[in-house]
Amino acid sequence: MPEIAIKPLLDAEFLVKLEQLELVSRKIFVGRMKGERKSKRRGSSVEFADHRNYSSGDDLRHIDWNVYGRLDKLFLKLFLEEEDLHFYTLLDTSLSMDFGDPTKLQYGKQVAAALSFIGLVNHDRVILDTFSSGLDSGMPSIRGRSQMWRIVQYLDALRASGTSNLTAAAKAFAIKHSGKGVVVVISDFLDKRGYEDALRYLLARNMDIYVVHVLSKEEVEPELVGDLKLIDSEDDDFAEITVSAPLLQRYKATLNAFVGGLKEWCTKRGITYIFTTNHNPFDKLILNYLRERGLVK
Amino acid sequence: MPIDFSPPLTSLAAWAVLAGVPVGIIALYFLKLRRKPVQVASTLLWRRSLEDLHVNSLFQRLRRNLLLFLQLLAVGLAMLALTGPRMKGSVGQGSRYVLAIDNSASMNATDVLPTRLAKAKEEAKKVVDGMQSDDLAMVIAFSDRARVVSNYTGNLSLLKKRIDDIEPTEATTSLRDALQVAAGLANPNKVGDVPEGVVATSIVAPKLLIYTDGGFPDVEGFQLGNIEPEVIVIGKASPQLESKSGDESKVPPPPVSNNVAILALQTRRNEDKPDVYQVFGRVHNYKGQDVETEAQLFIRDPANPKAAGTLRDAVALKVPAQGDAAFKFDLPDLGATELEVRIKGDDDLPLDNRAFTLIGNPRKAQVLVVTLGNKYLQDALKTPLADSRADTTFTTPEAARGEAVKRDIAAGKYDLVIYDQFRPEANPEANALYFGAMPPGVNYEKTKEVTGPTILDVNATHPLMQFIRDLSVVLVNKAVVPLELPNGATNLIESNVGPLAFISPREGYSDTVITFPLLEGTGVNTDWVRKFSFPLFIYNALQVVGNARDSAGEEVHAPAQTVSLRPETIGDTVKIVAPDGTASELKRSSQGAFLYNDANATGLYHVTWTPTGALTFAVNEFDARESDLAPRGLVPEGTPATEADKYRIKIGYNPVNSSKNSAPTPRDWWKPIALMALAVVLFEWYIYNRRVYI
Repeated sequence: MPEIAIKPLLDAEFLVKLEQLELVSRKIFVGRMKGERKSKRRGSSVEFADHRNYSSGDDLRHIDWNVYGRLDKLFLKLFLEEEDLHFYTLLDTSLSMDFGDPTKLQYGKQVAAALSFIGLVNHDRVILDTFSSGLDSGMPSIRGRSQMWRIVQYLDALRASGTSNLTAAAKAFAIKHSGKGVVVVISDFLDKRGYEDALRYLLARNMDIYVVHVLSKEEVEPELVGDLKLIDSEDDDFAEITVSAPLLQRYKATLNAFVGGLKEWCTKRGITYIFTTNHNPFDKLILNYLRERGLVK
Repeated sequence: MPIDFSPPLTSLAAWAVLAGVPVGIIALYFLKLRRKPVQVASTLLWRRSLEDLHVNSLFQRLRRNLLLFLQLLAVGLAMLALTGPRMKGSVGQGSRYVLAIDNSASMNATDVLPTRLAKAKEEAKKVVDGMQSDDLAMVIAFSDRARVVSNYTGNLSLLKKRIDDIEPTEATTSLRDALQVAAGLANPNKVGDVPEGVVATSIVAPKLLIYTDGGFPDVEGFQLGNIEPEVIVIGKASPQLESKSGDESKVPPPPVSNNVAILALQTRRNEDKPDVYQVFGRVHNYKGQDVETEAQLFIRDPANPKAAGTLRDAVALKVPAQGDAAFKFDLPDLGATELEVRIKGDDDLPLDNRAFTLIGNPRKAQVLVVTLGNKYLQDALKTPLADSRADTTFTTPEAARGEAVKRDIAAGKYDLVIYDQFRPEANPEANALYFGAMPPGVNYEKTKEVTGPTILDVNATHPLMQFIRDLSVVLVNKAVVPLELPNGATNLIESNVGPLAFISPREGYSDTVITFPLLEGTGVNTDWVRKFSFPLFIYNALQVVGNARDSAGEEVHAPAQTVSLRPETIGDTVKIVAPDGTASELKRSSQGAFLYNDANATGLYHVTWTPTGALTFAVNEFDARESDLAPRGLVPEGTPATEADKYRIKIGYNPVNSSKNSAPTPRDWWKPIALMALAVVLFEWYIYNRRVYI
């Protein structure tokens, strides 16, 4: 598809918006100590948490020798190992994302970059994974604001390819990442196999899941005319249509049912669902939608 | 409605190609060649949408293929247009119309505004407007005679101009004349299969549209050939016809119309008081209610023909509905006087509210008698009454052979020449009356001599035989009767052995022949000369064939009829001033009379000649049919079909369909159909682009 049309992710406009996001997110985090995170699974502590009895096989390094000196009993000092927040982004790079202006993939990249940036600014561990027919290799986890360039570089190099298989990707993702954390799935969810299994894999990991559902404006309001043979970009499936008002009505009803169904499915399972089109400015999405939904404060 | 087709495409191949178009469209649809491939992110949602649509299938499928159907419809309409459907009767190379427009007197009526003629022209122009490019029309204006206003042409503006140029006349109506013209010109098949130019080469049934108010008798015994006549009745339908249409058992009441007319006007010298003239006439009321009006007598000034005249007398009249009233004026002998009678009141036809006549100005017949001497004839011509009617000159056969008499006869000096037992070498330029001799010419060569014929019958209806009742007791000794009568001759006295008297027309004159001589040697051949009827016959002859008149008002001339004038002049030209003031010169015809063909309007015509001499004649409408404005030919609503023919105008015993308005012109239908096809294409385009909900 229109490869030339892809704008470099790191254009000046985007960077300016990132800067603004940085300021905004800093402001959000000012005055907030560690441990203030509301998420039950989240929290980083370098502090002592508890003692427990030693049992054979435990790491001797963790024995509290002071207690042993006083009580002559072996207690194991339990620290809550300082655990970073794992901020996973799962971006759909299948061919179906390569539609719209900007393409849904481009939009997804921007959202992913912005979210990652926020994560990096907050010293979270940011893991960026992409998928099409399966989970791609992704990039190693990074931390720190200085690593932003890697994100951008990685995202810039991404090209849409392959069919989307959300289920396989989610399964692989769940296997690959055992750590708990926040996972943001950015996809159009136009997968004929369905999305339910995929999200179940993620739910099973007990992850805090955010679904960003990106559709192009052309998909929401089709501007098709005449007798057409619609060819699926991924599997060469085709549908023959004669565009008419009832068909368009029917399409919109189907779309609404699809979006509504996904939203309902997600909401029921504690997944935060965010719908956007590629024409919705991504910074607005980040700030308003994500804040409203608690992803950023 | 019968429809036929005149496809512009005649070759089978062209049709085959055409028939292939919808097949091709369907094939393209089903071969899916037409669908434009468009890549979309995913067909997921579209598939679901289509599945939903498939649920309520047939109509949805129809809607899905709406564009296909629209295209097929458009092509179908285009093909239908190409088949050239038309209404029946307009086949081949276009239709032929014969527009016959009645411009008789009754068409001047104003019951439809502005006049019936204007309405008829308007209706005819509608037909012209509806003509197709390959249609031809001819226009005939008819009153008592038909005139071809425009020959077959397709030039619409010319046709309309010609129709506009039709002038109203005051003449009577004769549809037969119009039909003969139309049939002769429009119907080449009738006169044989000889092609007559472009028009005749196509065997096209012409449509004859007659715009009239129906004021004429049915045309019987006429074959229209393949012409399809239709009468468009102009004029307001009679209210009685409409209101009483439900009453079927009774004979339909006479139709009424808004008109009161003078139907007769005559002048006579009062028999008892010879110095008094009587002007009497008859007024007919065509209205449905009684009318009270007034008949006014005006004396016109001959020097000022356009002036209204001076009112001399008036009588009140009460004319019953659908009835007559008579009026009478007494006038002293004023010498030659021009009179006009008017009836007051407004009606739809002002034309017949005026009538003209003359008194005084009696004309004596100029009679030449060629005889060897006939006492009885001389006596009969010398009676006071006969003397007042004729100036008689006697001559001998010998003199009649001389140049002087011949020259006088050739100059038209005499109205009547009586040949007593003398057969001239050539026919005189005058009416002739023969006693015991045959007129010259081959028609009278075959004769036979008979003796003692018995008179069987007398043609009492002929003006010559008026009041002659005692012929049955008349004895005739010898006669020379023709073996057969010449063409056109009328038998006046029939005997057991052949005609004893007959009258035969001859080039504008007439020859009256009494086949038995009055005298035989010195004795009589018949005792008729001693009967009352003999001087009566002579008097009749002076009146009828001698052209004598009591007064000029006795003669009735109808508009648009030829007036034969016999002014007492030997000059070759006379000047005639029409009622509207236009003057024209008239030349003597070869028969010696002056034949005036332009007396188209009612009124008084003044004839003058040099050195001195004047003659006036009156032209009057006096036509009950023209004055009856109730349009004929329309079938009242609610009339059962079996009764309908009673109302229709009949041509050759066949009732002709009639309508109130001009029938919508049988159009070619391909234009609207092609327009519909275009509309469908536009509609398809709209649906395609706008995706409107159907």
